[in-house]
Parts: sequence; C-alpha cells; structure tokens
Amino acid sequence: MAATTAAAAALSSLSFLSPNPPISFLFPKSTKPFFLSGSFRSLSLSLAPPRAKASDIDTAFFDDLDPEEEVVFDPPTPPEGFTPPPAFDDGPDETEDEIAAAYEELYGPAYSGVSVLGNDVFVMDSKVKKTSAFGKVKKEKVRDGFEERVVQVRRVTKVVKGGKQLHFRAVVVVGDKQGQVGVGVGKAKEVIGAVQKSAVNARRNIVTIPMTKYLTFPHRSEGDYGAATVMLRPAAPGTGVIAGGAVRIVLEMAGVENALGKQLGSKNALNNARATVVAVQKMKQFREVAQERGIPMEELWK
Amino acid sequence: MARRYWNINLEEMLEAGVHFGHGTRKWNPRMAPYISAKRKGIHITNLTRTARFLSEACDLLFDAASKRKQFLIVGTKNKAADSMARAAIRARCHYVNKKWLGGMLTNWPTTETRLHKFRDLRTEQNTGGLNRLPKRDAAMLKRQLSRLQTYLGGIKYMTRLPDIVIIVDQQEEYTALRECITLGIPTICLIDTNCDPDIADISIPANDDVIASIRLILNKLVVAICEGRPSYIRNP
Repeated sequence: MAATTAAAAALSSLSFLSPNPPISFLFPKSTKPFFLSGSFRSLSLSLAPPRAKASDIDTAFFDDLDPEEEVVFDPPTPPEGFTPPPAFDDGPDETEDEIAAAYEELYGPAYSGVSVLGNDVFVMDSKVKKTSAFGKVKKEKVRDGFEERVVQVRRVTKVVKGGKQLHFRAVVVVGDKQGQVGVGVGKAKEVIGAVQKSAVNARRNIVTIPMTKYLTFPHRSEGDYGAATVMLRPAAPGTGVIAGGAVRIVLEMAGVENALGKQLGSKNALNNARATVVAVQKMKQFREVAQERGIPMEELWK
Repeated sequence: MARRYWNINLEEMLEAGVHFGHGTRKWNPRMAPYISAKRKGIHITNLTRTARFLSEACDLLFDAASKRKQFLIVGTKNKAADSMARAAIRARCHYVNKKWLGGMLTNWPTTETRLHKFRDLRTEQNTGGLNRLPKRDAAMLKRQLSRLQTYLGGIKYMTRLPDIVIIVDQQEEYTALRECITLGIPTICLIDTNCDPDIADISIPANDDVIASIRLILNKLVVAICEGRPSYIRNP
C-alpha cells in the first residue's frame, strides 16, 4: 500500500501533462523493490540504511522476495447488503444517444462531430494552427528562459538516383545559465529549420549539473559517448572555462564559470557535447555522497 | 488510500481460467515470483497475488476516477476487441480496440489533426454535404471516414493525453506501453507468464488468451472506475 499512496500523491499532481513532461515517473524507481514487498507484507516505506541508488541496476528486486512465501489475500469485508454490480455486458443496453450524452457530459463534444447536449461542436478549433498568416508566422524568440547556441551546422548529402539531396544538420546546445543544459540535433533542408528542430530536441533532453557555490564542479569526472572521451576538472574561481569547442559551449550554457575540460578521444562536436553531458551526469554533490554513505561530510575531505 | 471491497472471488477467477499461463518454454524468468506451479507443460499463476494486485489497481482507479482523471484502455486482440469496446463504453473511457497506430500518444499533435479531420467528415456527413459531391469523391471520403472510425472511434472524445492507460496484453501492445513510458504516463497492464512485470507500473498477472479472464478483470476495473466517478468532490 505504501507505494500506491505515492501513486495517489503523484496522481493528484498530474493535473496536466506538459509537452515536455519530466520523465519523473509515477513510481520513482527506488520504490519499485519496496512496492512489491509492501504489497505482500504492508511494510512501511522506510527500510533501514539508504541502499543502492535509484540509478543503479535494479537487482534488489528479489532480495526481499521469497517465492515460496505464502501470500495471504484478505480483502476487507463486504459491506452489508452488497450485491455484485452487473457485468458490463449484462446491463441494460444503452442507446447510442445515451452513450453520446454521457460521454459529452464528461469530456465535452471534442471531436465527435455531433453534439447531443447542445454544446458547440467546433470547440476544438482553437487548436488548429492558423495557416492563413502571410509568410511565416513568427514564433516567439525567447521561450521559457532557455538560451540556444549553435555548436555546429553541417551540410550532409544523401545520394539518390536523381542526384544528391542536401540537408543541413544542426547541433544546438540549450541552457539557462543556472545549471540546466540540453544537447539536441536536428536536420532540415534549410539551416533555420534545422536549428529550430534541434532546439526542440534539446529541450527534451535536459540535465541538471551539480555545481558548487563558486560555480564549478564538485570533482573530476570523465565521460564518453561513442569514440569521444571528455575529461572535466573543477578549477579555482577566476579561471574561467578552459575547454575547446563543443565542451566549452555546453559548460558555458550550463552557467559553469570555472572549469577545465579536454577532449581526449575523437574530435566530433556532437559526440563531444553528448560526452560532456554524460560526464556531468556522473557527478555527485558532496552532500549526496555523505548522505548515502552515512558519514559526515568532513570525512570526505580528509 | 482506502482499501475497498471489490468482490474479487478466487473461485470466480479459477472458473474463468485466469490462472493459466502460457507454455513452460515461453516463460519470462522475471515472472518467477508470480508463478505457483507447473502443470502439463503450462505455468499456473499464483491467484492470491493476482487478487492482491487487482484490488490495488481497483483502488487506484477508484481514486483517480474520483479526481476526474482520463483513462485509456488499449486492447487489440481481435477475439477480445468487441468486449473491450463495450467495457470501455460502459466505463465512459477512451479506448483503442483496433490497431494501435504508432505515435498515437507521442505524436499527439498529428493524432489531433486526424481527429479534426474525423470531426469535419462527420459534420459533413450529418449535414448531407457528401451527397453534393461527385460519386468518386464521395466514395473516397466515405472510405476515409470508415477508416478513421475504426482506428480513432474510441478516442474521439479525447482532448489531451490520458492520465492512466490500461493495457490488455503486454506482448501485443508493446508499442503502446513504450509510448506511455516515454511520456511518463502510469500504466496498468495484464501480464501473462511470457511478459516482463517490471515495465508497467501495476502489472496484474493473469491469462490474456481466454476471453473470459480478460472480461473478468476488465469488469472489475470498469466497476472501480464507475464507482469512482460519482464520488467526485469539487475542490473549491
């Protein structure tokens, strides 16, 4: 039951799924092993010491689970005078009008094309994009606080029977300068279109960077993606960002002021940008580590 | 969340054949905790666990319905398509009982465009606009309309992404499940012995081949939704 209370709590906050939904889930992964043990024995959610993090592989599934264990199913007692409700087939047949009316009461006429209750049938038309604007409808330039910077625009070719088809591939890094970055790719026949697509893509994969108060990393880290390896190192305040190409842009967009970075493997811009993101995701704040290991923070600096 | 009585009868489930699994060779080892025995080359699921999960799922649906959440039931097995549609209509939920088009949820703007077209075709048909066109055009539009009716008929009242998705067979609706996971939508799934119980959020180990067992479980879930709807308390 414990995890299903988490479900109810999460559901109450699930009022509207935004176009970029956070992939924070109904059940945070760490409660998954607890979920089943909770349902079998209704344990409380707090198990003794904090164990493997949610990001680790979930092998704790079978730790508490005993397949031989006898599970008791004890439903609460039926209330007095309980008659089982009719199955969905057995009930009285509803006419189409009744069904339409019931649906319309719940959801509005939406896309049904007919309105039994007298609502406006074309209520969903406000969602149709206005195609009658002259030229291109200008999208708002500054959206939701994220700045975009183009890392690389390349012209790529696909050879077909008729000749060469040219497209542009743009790699864009999106970030507010407060620790959130995202890297995205997009291809289109024109540069602007490609940049826009890649910005949309970048906004879908945003990560948060752990930063100290001097705007640098908590510790060194290496990350790789494909053949690109990137090494990141914190620096004293006043150093600035000392890194090349893609790595520098990612760090600047994240708001990191002082850092050292080196591209160790391949020099491919997209892969290096992705590798910095991987490297940054591996970092942990000192506070988190101290909490996980259950030791005071001073021990970590010895 | 209060536990309620959902009339889950173990004898009823045995009669419907909920406890039968698939053949022994086709199992998924992750289902080991839910399998109680092996008989004649078929795995038998542990019905107490099924009942437990089912009651939890019903509680969840009751609470969600009382908060006015939107549900989507996905089940494309051709044997069960009819009963699935009836169950969903009875519960006043959206449903997909013919093929689940890829990207229905992740590519929601495009699905909305199709729904717009569906609505326009319906209004035209109602006002008799199809009779004024030449026969060939009218035939084409009628064909489009019937296609849209089969694929999108169940979701024509859906204005935004659903809040909970109920999936009937995990193997068959794998694309649907994957889409819900990428979007972060909670799922309730009927699991058989050859499925992976960790993917969906609430997985109910049951038999997905026999129509009786699907109907039984759907019945319980539908009852939960129906009960939950009237108890909606408007928050000030």
